[in-house]
Amino acid sequence: MVRLFVIILPVFFAVTSFAYADPVITLSIDDVRSPLLNTAGVQASLTGSKESLLDIQLDEVAIQGKVWRGLRFSCHKFQIDNGLVRCDEGVLTSARSAPLLISFQFSSRHKILDVTIQTSSSEGRESWTLSAHWGKPSWGGMLTVTNGDISRIAEFLPVGENEILPTPIQGKGTINGSIKLHGDGDGLAGIDADLALDGLGFSDATGLHAGENISGEINAKAVRKGDGQGHLWKWNADVNWPSGEVFWQPLYFSAQGQRLTASGELNENIVRIVEGKLVLSGIGEMDLSGVIERPANTLRDFDLSADNLELSMLFSQVLKPFLANTPFADLKAAGQAGIRWRYRNSAHESLDVNLRDVSVEDERGRFAFSGVNARIPWQMQGANGKHEPTTADIHIQSSQLGRIPIGELHIPLKMEGWNLSIPRLTVPVLDGTLTLENFSASRKEGQAQEWQWQFSGGLSPISMQKLTEALGVQPMHGTLSGEIPRVSYNGSTVEVEGALLVRVFDGTVLIWNLKALDPMGPAATLMADVDMRNLDLNLLTGTFSFGNMQGRLDVAMHDLELFNWKPVKFDASLTSSPGNYPRRISQAAVQNISSLGGMGAAAAIQRSFLHFFDDFGYSKIGWSCSLRNGICHMDGIASEPMPNGYLIVKGGGIPAITVIGYNREVDWWELVSRLQRITQVSPKPIIN
Amino acid sequence: MANPVFLFRLILLMLLSMMPLSGYTQANIEIDTPAIASLKQSMQQRHKQLEPYYSRGAVGLTHDGLIAMHDANALPLSARQPVNTLIAAENQDRNALYREIARANSHPEWEGDIRSTFGQRWIQLARPGWWYQNASGSWVRK
Repeated sequence: MVRLFVIILPVFFAVTSFAYADPVITLSIDDVRSPLLNTAGVQASLTGSKESLLDIQLDEVAIQGKVWRGLRFSCHKFQIDNGLVRCDEGVLTSARSAPLLISFQFSSRHKILDVTIQTSSSEGRESWTLSAHWGKPSWGGMLTVTNGDISRIAEFLPVGENEILPTPIQGKGTINGSIKLHGDGDGLAGIDADLALDGLGFSDATGLHAGENISGEINAKAVRKGDGQGHLWKWNADVNWPSGEVFWQPLYFSAQGQRLTASGELNENIVRIVEGKLVLSGIGEMDLSGVIERPANTLRDFDLSADNLELSMLFSQVLKPFLANTPFADLKAAGQAGIRWRYRNSAHESLDVNLRDVSVEDERGRFAFSGVNARIPWQMQGANGKHEPTTADIHIQSSQLGRIPIGELHIPLKMEGWNLSIPRLTVPVLDGTLTLENFSASRKEGQAQEWQWQFSGGLSPISMQKLTEALGVQPMHGTLSGEIPRVSYNGSTVEVEGALLVRVFDGTVLIWNLKALDPMGPAATLMADVDMRNLDLNLLTGTFSFGNMQGRLDVAMHDLELFNWKPVKFDASLTSSPGNYPRRISQAAVQNISSLGGMGAAAAIQRSFLHFFDDFGYSKIGWSCSLRNGICHMDGIASEPMPNGYLIVKGGGIPAITVIGYNREVDWWELVSRLQRITQVSPKPIIN
Repeated sequence: MANPVFLFRLILLMLLSMMPLSGYTQANIEIDTPAIASLKQSMQQRHKQLEPYYSRGAVGLTHDGLIAMHDANALPLSARQPVNTLIAAENQDRNALYREIARANSHPEWEGDIRSTFGQRWIQLARPGWWYQNASGSWVRK
């Protein structure tokens, strides 16, 4: 606004001074066009002789593409005397603003201009004062603001066609301070601003970029270098942010003494930050530099480096909001990080991350890493436009996958842009090792940009005792091992080709067709086929306090589907293994097996003479369960169909016992709880 | 001369016989599995947190069966990021729900149709005053 009057007034006064003898002067200009200033509908009049009335109306003023409309300036105490033009108690009104009181004096002889603008409100504490002087070849000026209302500035800001500037919230924010300007025949040559903002608020229409109660201090200097068309400005600035809050989707910051100091250059095409320092309380200091292209204001180049950042605050305040829709949304991290980020020609070029004593923990308990020390020198493109391979050196002291502890890890991660690979990695798991070979990961093309990865490997024997202890389940003896031709993840499903082999209870358990759907998502589902062979019933029943049985058992559990580690669906069958071996079943085991058949003839053994015997002979065992929708559909020995019921235990030897089931359907969870209670209820045993 | 009504019926019958009897077996969107039950429970619990934001107009229902920030100005600045997180978690559950229902129907390829059916249903169930996106993507107040 002040700039506008600096331009208009000398022209107008030159005209009026010349014709001052006439008591009424009117001037009407339809349209004025110049490279600097365009006006339309200018009307000016001067009435009276000594203390005259000056009235200027401008329908539209445009300066360098920015437009003001409906401006009117009236001065009731206007004087011109010997080259001095003076106005006291002038009033400026605009279509978008409350009236402003303006006083000024202009001396063409002394080459000075003093303007004071004050609010017309009763508060009356707000004032804007400009003092300018000029000669040959230089000129200078100083703008002093006291309690300047920031929302008023916004009202007077020109209405640009495509500007997406935040709109200040009405009635919020004041500005105090001064701006010194000086120039020469080529225009403005230097600015020195020392301003303090208080209570600033702004918001865009959607509220996704907004700030409230912002206070801050800005000290900025800029000096023009060179002349003619190739103006280059050298600038430096210091911004301090002691209070307030800002939400800039998806980031939220509350002021904690953050500070930005920067110096650089500016011309018509670019803003260059040569040297900058950003201090974020609780996070650390960052050095930055870069280039912003004008007039689009797009970031072309940027360098950011920091050696000692507190990862805890950096992660929670800056990184986590970007991970909201990923499996890493519930992480918390701690430790120290160093970062070198290089951005060139509007694209990421390299990111070098150093981690020191870092720990990462999933708040849902799915995984955790501690004692992480790493150097990850990621590079997107080399000078020739091709991906330059680099190798990350990652060392992890210990980690946890679910409840399973993982030992010390050293990961030689090769990176080629978004393609990652590990030739070989040995992962200590309890007392065994998982060996990963030819691990490769890449980001899928397309909108979702999901990751996909694969590896092959093997699992050397892990003690089942240690594994069951870690998992907090019934202790078991034996080993778990496996050869894994291929494990792959396609963005939604992990598939394991090959089989995992578990040696337990002197038999084997083969797990194959292993698949995890949406493994890190809210509906993670595990699918597999399981075949158990030749399990020693003596060891098995001893482990689970089921009641002693002697013999061998085969179990097939196909189409197994687990949600939240609980079975949702399967087709299971238990049969006595082929071969010759002692087959004995204790009275307690008979009771428990009988319970699988549901409510039958209860405690039949106890009522008969059979309770004199501790165990019985049998020739065959068979039981099957198809779990669908929470219901177990049961059957017995497939080769021994019965007209009513189904045969679970076929007697053999002396004394022998046969167990028949009658209920074909049972609620799965009821069945599980029955087994857990070791129920006394059993189907009717038949004595041979 | 043949009866014209009879002829018309005959032609109609011939035309009908040329049409496929049924393109799809209808999906059972009420199907229940432990995964679906768990997702519904999680969404139900979150709904208590989301409801005031729907009522204030801060959050609205999108036409593709998800939710989105409609007007962040209705929230204090410090609440905007937590609401973003809430929206992301809800959308993760909703996407998983549509996928699970399609899978439980043994037709994973029905996910898109199930999503749009749910999208319409959520909007029908929305309370007056809540915001939703119509088919063209514009926000409308119910």
